[in-house]
Amino acid sequence: MIEALWTNLDYAASVVLFSIGLYCVITRNNLIKKFMGLNIMETAVFAFIVALGVVEGGDAPIMGADASPPFTNPIPQALILTGIVVAVSTTAIALSLIIRVYRQTGTIEADELREME
Amino acid sequence: MLLWPHWLALVVVVPLAGSVVTPAVARGSGRVAGRWAIGVMTVTFAIAITLVLRVAQTGPFSYWFGGWEPPYGIEFRFDEFSAFSAVIAFIGLLAVIFSQRYAEQALSPKRIPYYYCLLMLNLTGMIGFTVTGDLFNTYVFMEILSLSGYALVAVSGEKTAEMAAFKYLVLGAVSSLFVLLSIGMLYALTGSLNMADVSARLTAGVPKLPLIVALAAMTLGYMVKAAVFPLHIWLPDAHAIAPSPVSAVLSGLVVKMGVFGMLRMYQIVYRADVVDLSVLNTVLVWLGAISIVMGAFFAIFQDDIKMMLAYSTISNVGYIVMGLGLASQYSLIGASVHVFNHALIKSTLFLAAGAIIHRTGYRTLTDLRGVGHGMPLTGGAMAIGAISIVGIPPTAGFLCKWYIALGAFQAGRPFFGFALVFGALFIFIYYIRMVNAFYFQEPVHPEVARIGEAPVSMLAPMLILAALCLVMGILGRIPLSFIEPAVTRMLATIGG
Repeated sequence: MIEALWTNLDYAASVVLFSIGLYCVITRNNLIKKFMGLNIMETAVFAFIVALGVVEGGDAPIMGADASPPFTNPIPQALILTGIVVAVSTTAIALSLIIRVYRQTGTIEADELREME
Repeated sequence: MLLWPHWLALVVVVPLAGSVVTPAVARGSGRVAGRWAIGVMTVTFAIAITLVLRVAQTGPFSYWFGGWEPPYGIEFRFDEFSAFSAVIAFIGLLAVIFSQRYAEQALSPKRIPYYYCLLMLNLTGMIGFTVTGDLFNTYVFMEILSLSGYALVAVSGEKTAEMAAFKYLVLGAVSSLFVLLSIGMLYALTGSLNMADVSARLTAGVPKLPLIVALAAMTLGYMVKAAVFPLHIWLPDAHAIAPSPVSAVLSGLVVKMGVFGMLRMYQIVYRADVVDLSVLNTVLVWLGAISIVMGAFFAIFQDDIKMMLAYSTISNVGYIVMGLGLASQYSLIGASVHVFNHALIKSTLFLAAGAIIHRTGYRTLTDLRGVGHGMPLTGGAMAIGAISIVGIPPTAGFLCKWYIALGAFQAGRPFFGFALVFGALFIFIYYIRMVNAFYFQEPVHPEVARIGEAPVSMLAPMLILAALCLVMGILGRIPLSFIEPAVTRMLATIGG
């Protein structure tokens, strides 16, 4: 059990990070902190998927005369590049929404906003 | 024709390109943007229809991007379920037509081109979601439709719109991450992202536990998107506060994408036939049943007409999820067709509600008493929608609910068949309340009963939809027999 954890330390770390992020999203009262929790979750998933593609001692898979296996898997990296773009867009929308909430109500604490409704 | 080999890709490329250039084409003119959006959606709808005809004739077909053969390249795969893309394009087109006059009144002129841009982006995401055969592609299209959805909720500029959008965003983004996590795990297990290939490689044998975790994460993610009880909390506010054409799209179509994702997941797993899904199915059946009853229960206490419709969406998605969970041939056919019919019905209702709010400026049942006399055609469309959603025989809602009930008996779970009828009774109560208020109660505001009909650009889309609600009830066999081969193929391996 411990050994399995140790060999898959990268996956275990992602799971822990994911849980921390989810905990933040659920428990934090401040909208920005809530959203930072979401960013932590995103990072956890991205780290998990990038870690999938790692091959011990692997090179970048670039064709050429001196290219020699083993290569790392480039697909997860390409996927996560897309994932990061999505994450940035989500962040942009969320922050602009938070700004507008603040301008209209003067607060970004979830409990105070609930009282206003 | 030169473009014919790329026809399947065009159904996504056309609205995508059309939407992003909207602000440039319109140059600040809302009217031009509106006309442009109508044009783009008409072309998209035409393409989607030809694809549906082709799938009806020849069965599922694929498109390989750049000519790269799957599993190495990205594949678009059009099967019977993908025919929903035609419904998306159709309702999208009607929503855009409806928006012409609605946007002029509800939005500031500067924002209108961006509104059409977002709306078409949202539709693009959904069409892509239904036609893609690649898991990561699914995630990308899901994010396109979700992100534009968050922005569309906030676009109305009403007081609580931003907060509703933010709530939607947080839950939506968390659910997307669960789906992405699950896609990552499936990739780790199989080394492939192409759905058919993943399915084939799962058959070859993978460790059970990680696979189950991956499937659970994916179901959880899609359940949030589909607003299954108790993960529905984002839906009522977001759908009620959005501009009405957007509500029609969100409620009729976007929510279905969660269900659609589950359907795709089931396709992969059923074909591979490696894990026992009975636990997952039981959870879905129960949550579906609870959604039906709770959604209907909350809807009864709503006075705001759009809020009521939003809760009604929760109970109707409950039907679909229950049909998926029952996993018998009849229930799956019923659920797939209800995805389609509910899209028509709920769009009718939201567009009619939008027209009423547009004309009168009121949105509660109390204020709107007697509006059926002031707006006879709109009121009629609303009434047809209400009858359809309850599932009274000659209308679209009946056959699919009947099939889901039959499926419950077929699966040996008659209890859920009764739950379904019980839910329909609940739904009947609150729609009767609405019809009663519109036609038979003394108006609170006398002017409402003499208000006059909505403009043609609003009337036409909802009357077409209302007519379809009736036609689809009478010709209900067509979608049922259309979807049947896909369900049979899906169930072939488990002998359902």
